[in-house]
Amino acid sequence: MGRRVAAPEDRTAMDVDISPLIENWQFILTGLGFTLSLSGLSIVLGVGIGLVCGVMRTYGGSLLDTAIGLYVDLLRSIPVLAILVWTYFAFPLVIGESLTPFSGGVLALGVHLGAYVTEVIRAGLTSIRPGQMRAALALGMSPLQAIRTIILPQALIRMLPPLGSLIVIAVKDSAIASVIAVPELLRQSQVLAGKTFRPFEIYTAAMLIYFLICYPTARTIDQIYRRFAPLGAS
Amino acid sequence: MITRAATVERPRIGSGAAPILRFEGVCKRYGPLEALAGVTFQVNRGEVVCLIGPSGSGKSTLLRCANALESIDGGRVILDGVDVHDRRTDARKLRRRMGMVFQNFELFPHLTVLRNVAVGPTTVLGMSPPKAAERAMELLRKVGLAEKASQHPAALSGGQQQRVAIARALAMQPDVMLFDEPTSALDPETIGEVLSVMKRLADEGMTMVVVTHEMDFAKRVGSWIVVFDHGKVVEQGPPRQVFEEPTVQRTRDFLSHLGWHGESLAASDLLVHSPSNTP
Ligand SMILES: Nc1ncnc2c1ncn2[C@@H]1O[C@H](COP(=O)(O)OP(=O)(O)OP(=O)(O)O)[C@@H](O)[C@H]1O
Ligand SMILES: [Mg+2]
Repeated sequence: MGRRVAAPEDRTAMDVDISPLIENWQFILTGLGFTLSLSGLSIVLGVGIGLVCGVMRTYGGSLLDTAIGLYVDLLRSIPVLAILVWTYFAFPLVIGESLTPFSGGVLALGVHLGAYVTEVIRAGLTSIRPGQMRAALALGMSPLQAIRTIILPQALIRMLPPLGSLIVIAVKDSAIASVIAVPELLRQSQVLAGKTFRPFEIYTAAMLIYFLICYPTARTIDQIYRRFAPLGAS
Repeated sequence: MITRAATVERPRIGSGAAPILRFEGVCKRYGPLEALAGVTFQVNRGEVVCLIGPSGSGKSTLLRCANALESIDGGRVILDGVDVHDRRTDARKLRRRMGMVFQNFELFPHLTVLRNVAVGPTTVLGMSPPKAAERAMELLRKVGLAEKASQHPAALSGGQQQRVAIARALAMQPDVMLFDEPTSALDPETIGEVLSVMKRLADEGMTMVVVTHEMDFAKRVGSWIVVFDHGKVVEQGPPRQVFEEPTVQRTRDFLSHLGWHGESLAASDLLVHSPSNTP
């Protein structure tokens, strides 16, 4: 709070003026929209990748296990910022096609998240005792039917807490897409702060908005877990 | 004392027709361990075959090999003339014809009792949910648990869970029911309700293979007894013969280890029980 802020007129740091926020609420709302759509799509992509890779890694034999293990280890060993920058600036050279900042952001964040979700799904699947699979197969189900209707639902219930934290982290991580100029909340805040010379108000508001998205999300997932946890205990 | 004269030799049930299930020299190894070392016996239609034998003798392994949950290393399992382990056989189709009941119930905890019973018909047979629910309800009534239909398995006692598991297996309308120690994980008070459901099933003519340590059940409900030891059949025959005049020393050792001394049992208390519907 005691930080000096370069401002046209001389004023103290605690001189709070929220009028730039009120005047530019649409600009901030656009940012919020991008934050939600960017994180929403990257979560869909990441969870999709994680479900498929988690199931394949668990039941697909050693070749798939090794291949997917490589993807997981690789992506978990690289900073997400580096993945994002590489996806946006270097990956287009590989595919010979440029990406919009938004699609680059979704791709990078989704693929990154997918590596973590894969491991969570795998841990969930292997935690279900083998008798459940046997019982499903004994009814005449195919392995895929057994996984879909019997094993995976239980695994998802058990893995709701770690999945919930990954989802919240994904929302927060969407802020780094500001470096490739996706006009999401943080990026819009930066622009606005530069224009209005009101960084304190604007960045504080941005932090508050992140909190107001992430905290209820975490609590809701927690509540859902509490409600369903007994159903995942075989 | 048993008077030999009273023991009339009756022919084995179903011996006139081809057996529904036949094990021919079935071998199974786990690394160096020979879990099944050439098992041969058959199950006729309408029979209740009880498999008894010491722990680790391969009884569970045999049941898992019977419906191809486990591959085999030698011999054949024939279900109604079809080689279960043949590469050209659709194991999934055959499994529908064999209902399996596990020691630990293995009910699906995320599904209601009704859905546990209906999930086989809907996913495997493609039956419509209302029709499957109707069939499930009928079976739950049969095992005396209709009023638990909307609960989840965790809310049921062990005995109730096992009765649901029996209903779940019956929902596929199998030709043979395989039971792997269905009462071993139960509290003594609830064993009777499960055994009496099984007895009723046997009375209806269901073909059953029952791995059990309940010698009373084997003697009273079993129509054919197979004694296992070290992955082999050491003796088989009708209950009267196996329990009262065992010809093999290993059978005698096993029975006396269980405190069985060959005397004829009075009607077992366990089997007089009817399933209790009290919550
Ligand atoms: N998946 C497995 N991997 C390795 N060994 C196994 C496996 N399953 C069973 N065995 C071994 O095979 C042998 C037979 O086991 P099985 O469970 O069939 O015996 P059982 O007669 O059912 O015993 P119990 O009365 O204790 O249930 C045992 O020595 C067991 O340790
Ligand atoms: Mg066993």
